[in-house]
Amino acid sequence: MKRLALLAVLMVATRAAAQEPRLERVDTAARAPVAALLDSARAAGLPTEPLIQRALEGTTRGAPANRVIAAVRRLAADLGRAREALGPSAAPPEIEAGAAALRAGASPSVLAQLRRARHQPLMIPLAVLTDLVASGVPVDSATAAVLILARTAQDADLVEFRRAVERDIALGASPASAATDVARATLAGATNVNSPPHMGSGRPRRP
Amino acid sequence: MFDRIVAHLRAPVRIDPAFDERVMAEIATLPVPTPVRPAAAWRRLAPFAGLAVAATALVLIARPTPPTRRLQFVVVAPQAATVSLVGDFNDWDAARTPMRLLRADGPVWSAVVPLAPGRYHYAFLVNGSRWLPDPAAPVASDDGFGAPSSVVTVRGT
Amino acid sequence: MGKENVGTSDADLVRRVRAGDTGAYAALVARYRDRLGRYAVHMLGNREEAEEALQDAFVRGYRSLGRCDSPERFGAWLYGILVNRCRTAGARAARRGRVFVHDEAALNGASLANDPNAPNTIEQAEFEDLVRWALGRLSPEHREAFLLKFVEDLEYEEMARLTGAGVSALKMRVKRAREQLQVILKEAEHV
Repeated sequence: MKRLALLAVLMVATRAAAQEPRLERVDTAARAPVAALLDSARAAGLPTEPLIQRALEGTTRGAPANRVIAAVRRLAADLGRAREALGPSAAPPEIEAGAAALRAGASPSVLAQLRRARHQPLMIPLAVLTDLVASGVPVDSATAAVLILARTAQDADLVEFRRAVERDIALGASPASAATDVARATLAGATNVNSPPHMGSGRPRRP
Repeated sequence: MFDRIVAHLRAPVRIDPAFDERVMAEIATLPVPTPVRPAAAWRRLAPFAGLAVAATALVLIARPTPPTRRLQFVVVAPQAATVSLVGDFNDWDAARTPMRLLRADGPVWSAVVPLAPGRYHYAFLVNGSRWLPDPAAPVASDDGFGAPSSVVTVRGT
Repeated sequence: MGKENVGTSDADLVRRVRAGDTGAYAALVARYRDRLGRYAVHMLGNREEAEEALQDAFVRGYRSLGRCDSPERFGAWLYGILVNRCRTAGARAARRGRVFVHDEAALNGASLANDPNAPNTIEQAEFEDLVRWALGRLSPEHREAFLLKFVEDLEYEEMARLTGAGVSALKMRVKRAREQLQVILKEAEHV
């Protein structure tokens, strides 16, 4: 009986791999559940590429099957929540970026606010928000800064903003104040590659 | 002294012929660069301009390749025999982007990857098994796999 | 890959590429890679970045070959693209905190044994290191102007076309670069 069950698992796994050949690299025990998650995501109109990448990442890292499945499931859930917050017209890169932002700690309402504030694609503002949190900026400060800038700043300005914040943090500024100060300077229109990196008071100096 | 410097700078430099193959491999995916019509001809063809624009738009939509930037990833790994770059951009496949030493005995490994604009997770795989996030890069949110990955954002033009 | 055809002019090759003979571009690459590579290596200070900028320039050259108005001056046209790529690469490297230093030069000395460009003696190696370091101490604008004048032998009008700067500004930059190099090298003698 056990052998039959094993065979069934293998057959389902093989079929799954046929539909998405990259799944062949994934642990047999995880293959079918991951394929099922891909199917649900596809049916829901969510991007599946990030899910495949998450499964492959886990595989390369030698993570056990249950961890891989859990990670893919969680990402699928995040993608769904991001799409809900960003609206049905959200493009796949925006949904992905939204999911990453949620994972970093932003709330769905922040995503919705961004959608209302900015009539251009949201991939970059969401990525900047996520990257700031990754650099240690508290979620609230990062969110506030990005929301203010998102209304008027171009994508290139937002990326430059993130770089300037990371630079200030590297020079010793507290992450929260770095985000606020640089946002202020950016709004003042000072941000471009050729100008001095920052303005404003309380700027940390290299020791 | 100054003359010696100039003489040195003017000395021929030999670029490895493998360079030619890399260039030709990259342009193999590009469309043929047909000559662009000068402006005067367009004025004569103004009545047909609308049609031409529509045809061009169709071609542009059909062309799939986004502009890529070439990014260099660098890591110091003194004890490594091999290092691979793995990430979203190469299906986390250690065989796809092996890194190479910048100097034969030195600890610095490097790889250059063309990336379309976007946000990618990545890490280094040392000796086929040791997971090494990039110490110089922001950290990705926890995926539940243990030590995190790193993040790189590539912006558009 | 096409081998270079002796007697095939730049204009002929460009025409062939535009007509669909992609392989003809290989001949142009072979014709110009060393000469342009020399500029990139000295401008950027390391082999790897230079080859990247060079590859970038050739690919962009191919992409916009339809807009090359004088195919017989393909080399000069491509040169302008390379000068631009080197500026971008330099700015990017500066933002990442990479600079010309002795160690940088050493890092890029991979596979010296089979490298036709490797110096013959220790003294020569130290000299080349010194030059690389001194060039790295110049600002990008000064270094660029210096190389275009003294290494590429360009007329100031040509330099102005390539860089977008005025002739008198360029003359000043070249003069300053020369003076600065003398000072830097004098300093180095006393170290």
